[in-house]
Amino acid sequence: MARTTLPFRTALFGFASAAAIALNSGPADAANKTLNVGFVGVTSGPAAAWGTSNVRSMQTLAAWLNEKGGVKIGEDDYKINVVTFDDQKDPKRAIAGMEKMAQEGIHYVVGPNVDDGAAAVRPVAEKSGIIYFPYAFPKELYTKPASNAILGMVANYQSAPAIYKYLKEKRGVKTVAFVAANESDPLSQRDGGVAAAKALGLTVVADRDTYENDTRDFTPVLTPIVKLKPDLLVLSGVAPANAPLLIRSARELGYQGLISTETAQDAKVLEEGAGDLANGFISVGGASTPEIRSKTMEEFIDRYTKMFNEYNDESNTKVYALEYIVDTLKANPKAIDNVEEYKKTIDTFSAPNLYLKGENVLRYVGMTSFGQKRQIAVPLVVNEYKDGKFQTLFVADVD
Amino acid sequence: MEQVVANGLYLGAQYALIALGLTLIFALMNVLNFAHGQMYVLGGFVTYELYGQMHLPFVVALAASAVTLAVLGGLIERFLFRTVIRRSKREESTMLLAAGVAYFLDALILLLFGEKQRGVPKIVSGVWVSDNLIMPYDRILVGFLAVLFIAAFILMMRYTKPGRAMRALAQDRVAAQLMGVPVEFYSLVGFALGALLAGLVGGLLVAITGVNAGIGGPISIKAFMMVMIGGAGVISGAIAGGFILGMLESVGLSVLHSYGDVTYLVIFAALMAFLSVRPNGLMGKPWG
Amino acid sequence: MSTSARLATLVIFVFAVFVAVPVLIGLTHRTDFYYTLSSVALLAIASGGVWLTFYIGRINIGQGAYALMGGYVSAILVVRYGVSFWITLPLAGAFCAAASVLIGLPILRLRGVYFAMVTLVLTEVVRLLALALPITNGAKGMVSLPPPGPISLFGLTLVPSFDTFAERNEAFYYLSVAVMCVCFAALYRLVHSRVGRLFVALQQNEELASSMGLNVPALRVLAYSISSFFGGIGGAIFAAIAQSVYPSSFTVADSVNFMLNCFLGGLGFVFGPMLGTLVLYFGWDLLFQAGQYQLLIYSGVMIALMLVLPNGLLSIRPLNFRKRVRPLIWRRS
Repeated sequence: MARTTLPFRTALFGFASAAAIALNSGPADAANKTLNVGFVGVTSGPAAAWGTSNVRSMQTLAAWLNEKGGVKIGEDDYKINVVTFDDQKDPKRAIAGMEKMAQEGIHYVVGPNVDDGAAAVRPVAEKSGIIYFPYAFPKELYTKPASNAILGMVANYQSAPAIYKYLKEKRGVKTVAFVAANESDPLSQRDGGVAAAKALGLTVVADRDTYENDTRDFTPVLTPIVKLKPDLLVLSGVAPANAPLLIRSARELGYQGLISTETAQDAKVLEEGAGDLANGFISVGGASTPEIRSKTMEEFIDRYTKMFNEYNDESNTKVYALEYIVDTLKANPKAIDNVEEYKKTIDTFSAPNLYLKGENVLRYVGMTSFGQKRQIAVPLVVNEYKDGKFQTLFVADVD
Repeated sequence: MEQVVANGLYLGAQYALIALGLTLIFALMNVLNFAHGQMYVLGGFVTYELYGQMHLPFVVALAASAVTLAVLGGLIERFLFRTVIRRSKREESTMLLAAGVAYFLDALILLLFGEKQRGVPKIVSGVWVSDNLIMPYDRILVGFLAVLFIAAFILMMRYTKPGRAMRALAQDRVAAQLMGVPVEFYSLVGFALGALLAGLVGGLLVAITGVNAGIGGPISIKAFMMVMIGGAGVISGAIAGGFILGMLESVGLSVLHSYGDVTYLVIFAALMAFLSVRPNGLMGKPWG
Repeated sequence: MSTSARLATLVIFVFAVFVAVPVLIGLTHRTDFYYTLSSVALLAIASGGVWLTFYIGRINIGQGAYALMGGYVSAILVVRYGVSFWITLPLAGAFCAAASVLIGLPILRLRGVYFAMVTLVLTEVVRLLALALPITNGAKGMVSLPPPGPISLFGLTLVPSFDTFAERNEAFYYLSVAVMCVCFAALYRLVHSRVGRLFVALQQNEELASSMGLNVPALRVLAYSISSFFGGIGGAIFAAIAQSVYPSSFTVADSVNFMLNCFLGGLGFVFGPMLGTLVLYFGWDLLFQAGQYQLLIYSGVMIALMLVLPNGLLSIRPLNFRKRVRPLIWRRS
């Protein structure tokens, strides 16, 4: 098992360093100021993939920025330190995590990863003056009177209409079936997807089918749906671990139509789990495809791969949150310990987006969906999986 | 309908094999092994590394999974469970130990193998298609292998000396000891065998469903359910429970398809009602 | 322990939770501990209920179901019917107790792992119900619960509205530990009463107890409904402190943790679940700086504790002169 020796060694090393950190938790370097940025999300258990790609993106970017001497905010140079809290996908723990961040004097937190966690931490964040970047879609988090949450990705009610419209016009899709895990996030996303499909005049042939998130064999779940022969099968809010299994089961049952989802996936996982059967699978990603990715993004991927042995395509989106935090603070240094200043800057903020080829800007969006700018602008890239890689179908903007 | 039954049978075969190891450990030591699912996952990752990454033959990888887990299981029994059982006043205290082991393996697997879903190349490609039935060849093969392993296990328990010793142990620990059965040794063997079965089925199913670090807990819980349906600590009960749960899921998901959200609610409620009527499952011994 | 020693311990404990801890938090400005310690208190209440079912000889992995139920009952009454939180609190407990009588009558006939499993399934059933029922608001959960209002009696404000506290979680802390103290005092009293001795008889041998004329089914249901009452109360206050409740607020993992809290503290000690909850829940929080090694260290410590103190943390105290025998109770006969 040659591949496993390295992580094991890093594990041992990390063990020692973790002990060291526990003993000496103060800022290491007094000459340089430290900017603590928090993460509250899930890094263990069945949904570990979501939070892990977040944490690793943040750690990679922080290490990179620190290597360049830190970031200059106002007059001072800051090293960036990522403080992580594993909420185990439990809303109770998420609150504790957010309290912990407040205690550490942190004002900018990435996460939580799921709807209920994001909604649960809202009172704490508002009370303690924390801006947080959830990867969760409930609109109440981002519309007034809420004002401290900034959506870190493209929501499914923004991407679904675009995807379905494209598939309706370009691929002649007329009937759609939905299948979702029986949990809060996927069910909400399914309901959003069903509404979007109906609004486009598509016929929804199945919208009640669910599976338990720990299902390992999806053939029984998909057998009745495949019989309906829909043109498009939407895997609402599918976890990256389940996507290849669902695709494989559907194809092996003889399903001929299209399969899509509105969440980000990982090409390697699809390749290993479903192989050629995943060809044609449509999903949403960040600046993932080589066509639109810049040199900077490639270097980020390199560094990530060096640090953690393996890249995760989900990080294409998740690289952005920390970048937005740092750049917004650069634009308004007063915001470093005052989120009201941050909120003022949101409306006018604009900075070059180095992760994309060509002229692109980082800015806050969300006026259409939320009535206020509470979403970071990441390109809405719709991908099609082909032979181990994602190919861009189309790119759109969210406003 | 044929498809639904075939799905149920295939699912049942793999469930039964998962439940076997759990029920064996329970029968011998009265330990509800919360770490069963984590052992399954570890077995899956061994096969993934050997077959998927190093491209050794699938059979070799499968054997390696089984052996790795047997050794690990033996060590866990010898150094953890035996000590705690000896020292604790109430036997269920082992549940905390089992949960601790489960968390520990979870953490270790996550650190060693990463958070991603893993899969391996198909062991056989192609799909068998008839009018009413579609079944990929690899599923047929895995289902067949699962049944084969179950049969081999039953024969071993029935006709070999260790098998007989373990059955005696399960029946009456004190009496077995008085009859000269080396109880401690066979507890170790039994625990190792239970872990081996978990590793074996984990390795086997990598070929179909892949493996990821987080599924250990849910797998354990599912295995508990099968064991309860059939009756705890009884080999035939575990097999029956596995097939019944497989069928229940397959048929339930088809019949209740239009009610979607409530399928599992109905299955679970039915399970509770069933156990209220038959407090020891189908063929379990009284008092569990 | 002598009566005076017991009284002294009680005074020290009450002083510690109501005076010393808040003062320490005030001095160190660790206000985040108010939430964490409130959580510990609330989870300890629920664990105390689980402990009582252990006391009659049942392994209960279903307390999450009642905690979730209690949370929803309180949240629904507060949000949909405008009932005061203070009234919903006993109602939530009563609802859970009533539900547990209905559920308990059939399932308490089960023993050992069968009972454990059926309660585990119960947790999942309640979660799925919360997702499916219209009144619970399904997957979206109940959010933005108002904080508890004031309690007034004859125009006299006994408890001010929680909104008036600068640090709202401080108010919740006092509430949680107060309820915890009441619950554990009740538990202690119960265990040392005549009924408590009957419970022990149940734990040791139900057939024997029955043959001696005890109404075994009624006693079992009584213990189980008290246990569920505790679960409901804990869940209801948790919904209030989190200002929200979701189908995922209490899951199978919580049910398992409630049980583990009892094991860790020690099944032979009324206050075991309190200590167990403190160590297990607070331990996780304290380890958060270990980052990705958090779970590894946490579970490693758990295993080590089990090896050293398999009868629970409280078994370490020097007064424990009991002989080390392996009792025949709990063994398969």
